Amino acid sequence: MSEPVAMSSDRPAAPVESTVRPLSPWRRLLRDKVAVAAGAFLVLVVLAAIFAPLLAPADPYDNNIRLRLKPPGGDFVLGTDTQGRDMVTRLLYGTRTTLVIGVSAVLMGGFIGALMGIMAAYYRRLENLLMRIVDILLSFPSILFGLAIAALLGPGVDTLIVALTVSAIPSVARVTRGAATVVMQQDYLEAGRAVGVRERVLIWRYLTLNCLSTILVYLTLQFGQTILLGAALSFLGLGAQPPIAELGTMAAEGRNFLSFRPHVATIPSVAIFLIVLAANLLGDAMRDVLDPRMRQ
Amino acid sequence: MSRHILHRLLISIPVLLGVLAIGFAMLQVIPTDPAAVLAGPTASPEEIASIRESMGLNEPLVYQFLLYLWRVLQGDLGRSFISNTPVLDELGNTIGPTVELMIASLIWAVPLGIVLGTVAAVRRGTLVDRGVVALSVAGVSMPIFWFGLMLIQYVGTKWNLLPYLGRGGPLWSIDGLRSIALPAITLGGIFVGPVARMTRTSVLEVLGADYVRTARAKGVYERRVVVRHALRNALIPVITLVGLQVGFLLGGAVVTETMFAWPGVGRLAVGAIISSDFPLAQGAILVLAISFIVVNLIVDLLYAFLDPRVRRA
Repeated sequence: MSEPVAMSSDRPAAPVESTVRPLSPWRRLLRDKVAVAAGAFLVLVVLAAIFAPLLAPADPYDNNIRLRLKPPGGDFVLGTDTQGRDMVTRLLYGTRTTLVIGVSAVLMGGFIGALMGIMAAYYRRLENLLMRIVDILLSFPSILFGLAIAALLGPGVDTLIVALTVSAIPSVARVTRGAATVVMQQDYLEAGRAVGVRERVLIWRYLTLNCLSTILVYLTLQFGQTILLGAALSFLGLGAQPPIAELGTMAAEGRNFLSFRPHVATIPSVAIFLIVLAANLLGDAMRDVLDPRMRQ
Repeated sequence: MSRHILHRLLISIPVLLGVLAIGFAMLQVIPTDPAAVLAGPTASPEEIASIRESMGLNEPLVYQFLLYLWRVLQGDLGRSFISNTPVLDELGNTIGPTVELMIASLIWAVPLGIVLGTVAAVRRGTLVDRGVVALSVAGVSMPIFWFGLMLIQYVGTKWNLLPYLGRGGPLWSIDGLRSIALPAITLGGIFVGPVARMTRTSVLEVLGADYVRTARAKGVYERRVVVRHALRNALIPVITLVGLQVGFLLGGAVVTETMFAWPGVGRLAVGAIISSDFPLAQGAILVLAISFIVVNLIVDLLYAFLDPRVRRA
């Protein structure tokens, strides 16, 4: 079970013996070493981001030109950046900003997208309208959302969150509608309606809760893409603005010192890579376990 | 088939209008009064008012939007705030390099991805397969700017092998080839993983098909089975999926152009946004979006053409 991600999609079905009860999805996920490692890493990263003010050895905005561009080692474990700020501190705060941006965009975009998908599947009258909107949004690549919204609102963290939220909506809506349409055809929904279950309960408890695992898996995979896009926009100077500690912005600050102080750009870049990698590995493993339908 | 084309074309219209509305909105957020700018610093309020009138700035927004559409249709995208050259001219100079970069990236990344994906599928479960899969996951998780920065750091500055700033000349010159190498490796590099992954899945699916089993039963050599029977059929979804990833490639191109100072549309757009050159930003985003829509449309139709199942749906 230690094979990484995409392979699992075509793992031969294990012969099931009738006497053995199949493991619950969560148990199976816990048996996947890669998934457990990725999940544990993400938990650590989130904790480090939450407790950054307690963990950080210095002030993230404390400039000291005389200490600038110190290589890792000595007083500064990871060195200092272009303004002489401690890299460990910047890394902690940068991760915090990046995660806040990514998590809020994925949650908001996920909520709006899931709502659209559920509505489209439940109210067939709305389906055409909602899915056409989704088509339109999908035919606009996410980087262009970023560019256009940055041009309209001016670069900044708020702008970045708006752009990332909008770019997450359409694909979540499409995936949710796919799952919800399948649930809509189940007998228990028809039965619930026949015995007079209220519409609100039908939509929430019968429909949405049964789509939740699909949505969750998809959001995990979307999270990695959102972080990458956000970091790229910040790197271009269209997201978080200096002196804010944000991983993409930090990488951009270090790019002019690559030849003699590569650590300034490399450390935040590696951090982004590891966070996205962990999210992708976890998402792939979750998909294989929780939601075999999405496996294409 | 014709219904499918019609449907696609109809969907493109609201998308196009949406894109144009965004471009129009970008010109509305300009903090200064365009009439006052045009009239000059010594103009009286009456003069400014008459210019406003003649520019149609007093008309309802819908009317102004239609006016904007009309101008765009005629190729008039306004003038850059900074260089005062027509936006269309600026775009004309940058489209070529962007197309160059995309082609130079795809031309090596797609074949490599297909080969890696096929090898992984054929040697399924072996170390080679795991290596390819791990590589493709790492590839999709990698921030493209980090890959580019590493190339600049080592190939560009430390070993001093290739230039990493700007475009040295046309593609057929030595300088041109040398200057496009690092940007094309960067942009293509993020594309190898997804292509390998799609190919692998697709080939595995085909290898399980009845006609492959028949071919094997007939005693066809394995190499021939893979290349002739499996790969050929597996490539249809791969090629169209590659086309549908153009948006992903576009995102990479914007970052790549900016970091390698490659004079393309993406770099133009980023520079224009940062310097608040709204007409130029509007034009660049418009061009990127419209070319994306057109490519998507072509790919979609190609897909329907190659795979009859789509046509009937």
